[in-house]
Amino acid sequence: MSAVLVVHGGAWAIPDELAPVSVQGVKAAARHGSSVLRSGGSLVDAVEAAVRALEDNTVFNAGHGATLKIDGEVQLDAIIVDGKTLAFGSVSCVKNIANPVSLARAVMEKTSHVMLTGRGADKFAESIGIAMVPTDKLVTECERKEWEKHKKYIAAVNEEFNTQAHDTVGAVALDSAGNVACATSTGGTRHKMVGRVGDSPVIGCGAYADNISGAVSCTGHGESILKVTLARLILSHVEQGKSVEDASQLSLQHMGDRVQGAGGAIVVSPSGQWAATFTTKRMAWAAAEDDVLWFGIDPKEKLKEKLSL
Amino acid sequence: MLPVVVVHGGAGHIPKERSERSTSGVCSAARSAYKVLKGGGSSMDAVVEAVMVLENNPSFNAGCGSVLNVKGEVEMDALVMDGSTLSSGAVSAVRNIANPIHLARLVMEKTSHACLTAEGASRFARSMGVPEVPEESLITEYSRMRWKKNLAPDSNPVECQMGKMGTVGAVAVDINGTVACATSTGGMLNKMEGRVGDTPCIGSGGYADNMSGAVSTTGHGEAIMKVTLARHILFHMEQGQSAEAASDLGLAHMKSRVGGLGGVVTVDPQGNWAARFSSLQMAWAAAQKDSLHYGLYTGEHFTQIIEDAH
Repeated sequence: MSAVLVVHGGAWAIPDELAPVSVQGVKAAARHGSSVLRSGGSLVDAVEAAVRALEDNTVFNAGHGATLKIDGEVQLDAIIVDGKTLAFGSVSCVKNIANPVSLARAVMEKTSHVMLTGRGADKFAESIGIAMVPTDKLVTECERKEWEKHKKYIAAVNEEFNTQAHDTVGAVALDSAGNVACATSTGGTRHKMVGRVGDSPVIGCGAYADNISGAVSCTGHGESILKVTLARLILSHVEQGKSVEDASQLSLQHMGDRVQGAGGAIVVSPSGQWAATFTTKRMAWAAAEDDVLWFGIDPKEKLKEKLSL
Repeated sequence: MLPVVVVHGGAGHIPKERSERSTSGVCSAARSAYKVLKGGGSSMDAVVEAVMVLENNPSFNAGCGSVLNVKGEVEMDALVMDGSTLSSGAVSAVRNIANPIHLARLVMEKTSHACLTAEGASRFARSMGVPEVPEESLITEYSRMRWKKNLAPDSNPVECQMGKMGTVGAVAVDINGTVACATSTGGMLNKMEGRVGDTPCIGSGGYADNMSGAVSTTGHGEAIMKVTLARHILFHMEQGQSAEAASDLGLAHMKSRVGGLGGVVTVDPQGNWAARFSSLQMAWAAAQKDSLHYGLYTGEHFTQIIEDAH
């Protein structure tokens, strides 16, 4: 069986002017994650590296380039899961951290806990020598402008939540031994309340990985994803014998029918099946499998090129 | 069969001198919630009532009586979920309020979000006019004694806590067949500042869906999260398992897959209920058809008539 690594850059109505850079960004992240795997890195190394690449890319709503919450500051959430042991780490509501996914990994590896929040998470970061970056450094000029523009239209936020919010990045991966892992990172919804935690850092919602069934990373309307525990729901369909594609579609459709939420998910199964599915207008995704790099952004779009690392 | 409410006061090993208080505590919470249901209250009203009674009881690890974090402070987590709409509200690492479950319900009802954490949760509490209480009022002599004891370098808080934990929770079905769950905790003994456990995480600390039922969990938080225990049990019920069989399957899976112990209270929309645990004990009580059921050890099931149900 060959290794597979899939990434997404968020499910939302990506405007045309952002489409090419979004696709470019997910392709680069998939290449990077895949090269980590090929050079002998672990699965957790690979999903962390892929998500870091997306966090560092200002096109995406995670790490550098995150959306601003209601008081104009960033507030970041992330999770990482190892499907072999079900070990995971997550952080919610951290501020001055450039790569929340790496902090989530440190929670998994260096504490007896699985989730740290707020000031406690920031203090932990400091205690293990993760560099604190000034808030300003994580804010892009473009996001500041968007935030100003939207500030006066909080009432319209609901509509935006479902379809247009700049959202979340993630990665899932499978190695040749059949192990799976995943990671998700986000800046959350624009103009969110101080302290709002979305689906991303919540196990079973923003992400889940289990060698028995597969790995999932989700994106979309966070409150809806929480309500249906989307990642866990998709894998429960896989456990019942559905293909990863059908499982994703059924679950996203359920989320639309039951709680009127739109979103997307990437999935890999231990047998090497993978899928990138969404009910929003667009989702930038890329998958590295053997010597091929698959990618797309519009519904049903599945392009490929030779994978050059 | 309806209405019904089932309450737990935490899974673990309850020291003998405290077991009587645990049992009477869950019984009075179940009675109180049952009265709400009989008076026409919703399942959400009932589970919040049950959990508030337990939060206000210093014998349990929630609200007043919460365990302390490594710095000797109280940080609490809570979750509510309504099975008719899948709406939920949660708070994590919140300080200086008496009833986190009430704040969780406010998050569900008054914001467009599902979870607020730490300082943001406190800020929201103030904006809602929830009274701020001094930390000292949430701390008991017992919780301070255990905190001190576990500061010793050779102590094992996880072990000690599996000994005596006391997350509280409730599930209920009202006469309309709507299910709800609520869970509240002070978390893990001597936890790091900012540690969040299973309780406020939807699917782990609780889940409620009118299509299948409702679950509130207790036990080793990290293990519960790894298997998203509440959601896992409801998957089994969706596949046709009874509340009792699904609860046992979920707990057995958690034990074999990640070596964790815990307990759950579970209901289905028809009013079938279960209180199951893999730990040595779990204080639980259920009220249905004007009878009160309760127990503490595996296999224990006492019944008495509720005299003042009407």
